[in-house]
Amino acid sequence: MIRSGSEAIYVEDLKKRFGRFVAVDKITFSVKRGEIFGFLGPNGAGKSTTIRMLCGIITPTSGYGRVAGHDIFSDAEEIKHSIGYMSQKFSLYEDMTPFENIRFYLGIYNVPFKQWEDRIEWVLDMTRLQDVRYRITRELPPGWRQRLALGCALLHRPEILFLDEPTSGVDPITRQNFWEFINHLAQDGMTVFVTTHYMDEARNCQKIIMINEGRIVATGSPSEIICTMFPERPDADLNDVFIHLMSRKER
Amino acid sequence: MNIIHIKAIAKKEFYHLIRDFRSLYLAFIIPILLILIFGYALSLDVDNVKTVVVDYDKTELSRDFIRTLDASSYFNVIQHLSNTAAVTGYLDQGRTTMAIIIPPDWTRNIKADRETPLQVLLDGSDPNFAGISRGYITAFVERYNLDRLIDFLSRHGKEKINPPVEARIRVWFNEDLESRNFIVPGIIAIIIMIVGAMLTSLIIAREYENGTMETILSLPIRAGEFLTGKAIPYFLIGIADVLVAVFMGQALFGIVMRSNFWLMVLASSLYLLVALSLGLLISIVTKSQLVANILAVLITYLPSLLLSDFVFPVVNMPTVLQLITYVVPATYFIDILNGLYLRNLGLINLWTSYLILALMFMVLSVTNLVLMKREGM
Repeated sequence: MIRSGSEAIYVEDLKKRFGRFVAVDKITFSVKRGEIFGFLGPNGAGKSTTIRMLCGIITPTSGYGRVAGHDIFSDAEEIKHSIGYMSQKFSLYEDMTPFENIRFYLGIYNVPFKQWEDRIEWVLDMTRLQDVRYRITRELPPGWRQRLALGCALLHRPEILFLDEPTSGVDPITRQNFWEFINHLAQDGMTVFVTTHYMDEARNCQKIIMINEGRIVATGSPSEIICTMFPERPDADLNDVFIHLMSRKER
Repeated sequence: MNIIHIKAIAKKEFYHLIRDFRSLYLAFIIPILLILIFGYALSLDVDNVKTVVVDYDKTELSRDFIRTLDASSYFNVIQHLSNTAAVTGYLDQGRTTMAIIIPPDWTRNIKADRETPLQVLLDGSDPNFAGISRGYITAFVERYNLDRLIDFLSRHGKEKINPPVEARIRVWFNEDLESRNFIVPGIIAIIIMIVGAMLTSLIIAREYENGTMETILSLPIRAGEFLTGKAIPYFLIGIADVLVAVFMGQALFGIVMRSNFWLMVLASSLYLLVALSLGLLISIVTKSQLVANILAVLITYLPSLLLSDFVFPVVNMPTVLQLITYVVPATYFIDILNGLYLRNLGLINLWTSYLILALMFMVLSVTNLVLMKREGM
């Protein structure tokens, strides 16, 4: 069954093979508009490969998929225009100032020149980086760099925001602020697709998929997943589920 | 191809360049140092050969011989020694290149029309230098003999005598045989390789190492835009360096380009484009700045220096090396520059080299585009 429509992301039997190694093995899922969607799994489970396919960076081996209404096989260029992507390294140009980084993204995202000034002010206000706009990014604390990276990914007002382990290497307070901000974005209608290692953070997601060795092993809202896995244990949390599912697979 | 995308990438690349001390050093200081070092120090010309003399004859004639020798601009008599043993010391320590030993009874033998040997010792540890010195001293002795002969004949009544054969030598293209005239085009080729290939070999590898490539791939940038934008700042610097080299060659060494200035700019641009695409190719393939830098030295800088007819003549190389020189871009560029600088040739004679450089650029660009697309761009 091939569907499109109200889903921000829809994939069916999506598969990616590198030579003999199957990184992602026929996964099917959908993400609703305005949803915060968590994509969980250990290192090497196929998280990055999936996110790279959804962002139009690599082409899947087989299956079907639409992101923001665009086919992931044929419309990679359109997909890249409709999404924002922030990788775990907050990969900004650290030898450039926030101001210069923002202008680079504005140029790449085809934002009309007349709107540049407004957008720059908007992003600097939102990320609270007004005072350091002319400082070299390398000198800023990790939490500030994270905000700048996020701000750059939002400059073109994307439909879907992809976050690949967005909170690795920042302190708990920054992480909490970050999630408040993400919730805020979702309330305004943005779809957020996030991968993470931190199970306590995964509770911020409305829907979760757990993936191991390229296959989906659990799906549903955080509480649903816990209930299905441990019906007799009311004290169980996502950590227990994660450890249970992943260790079971390794045997 | 979106101009705004290219502009954004070029601007970003420019920021990287001006904020990285190492790149700036390679882009601006090294070219000027190279011109000065090659131009002043690496003169391949030989004059004022250091000479010591031992005069066992001690006559008017032998002293006159030594004076004539010293007066010539080819030789510089630095010491008169008393015996042959002292000469050994001078040659061993490299304090002299040549020693001339005038045997006893030299004058008497000349006057008696007997065979008159003159011992000449040469330091052969630099074969090129020794060979040239040998040529000088042979010519000098022949000239001396001729003068003696004419002197003898005139004393015996024959006023005028002309030697049967006299070579009238005229050198074309580089009248004074100054190696500098030949060196400047070579330096320009080396500078372009350093700025073009060595600098650009770092710039995509750097994106991979810093993790920014992942972001670039997620942005709506096309491979052509990315490569063009990255190359633009380096292209401009390369052209600026070429102009500086041409200007310095003229101002410091008086080397004037005789042919059309724009033909030189066109050749430099083509060669620069080849260098840039070669650097980008290395960068895409290696994805590591360190490996890229080593590879760039090995496959761009060294061949340009060694296999391009700049320092070592290609005709003297073994066949295998000669075949390799056909794929070294500098071979064609130096061919063009020598044509323009020394021979005053135009496109009619040089178009094949232009065409080969253009073809090299096209092949490399297509390869780069395919590789970048495969990376997910």
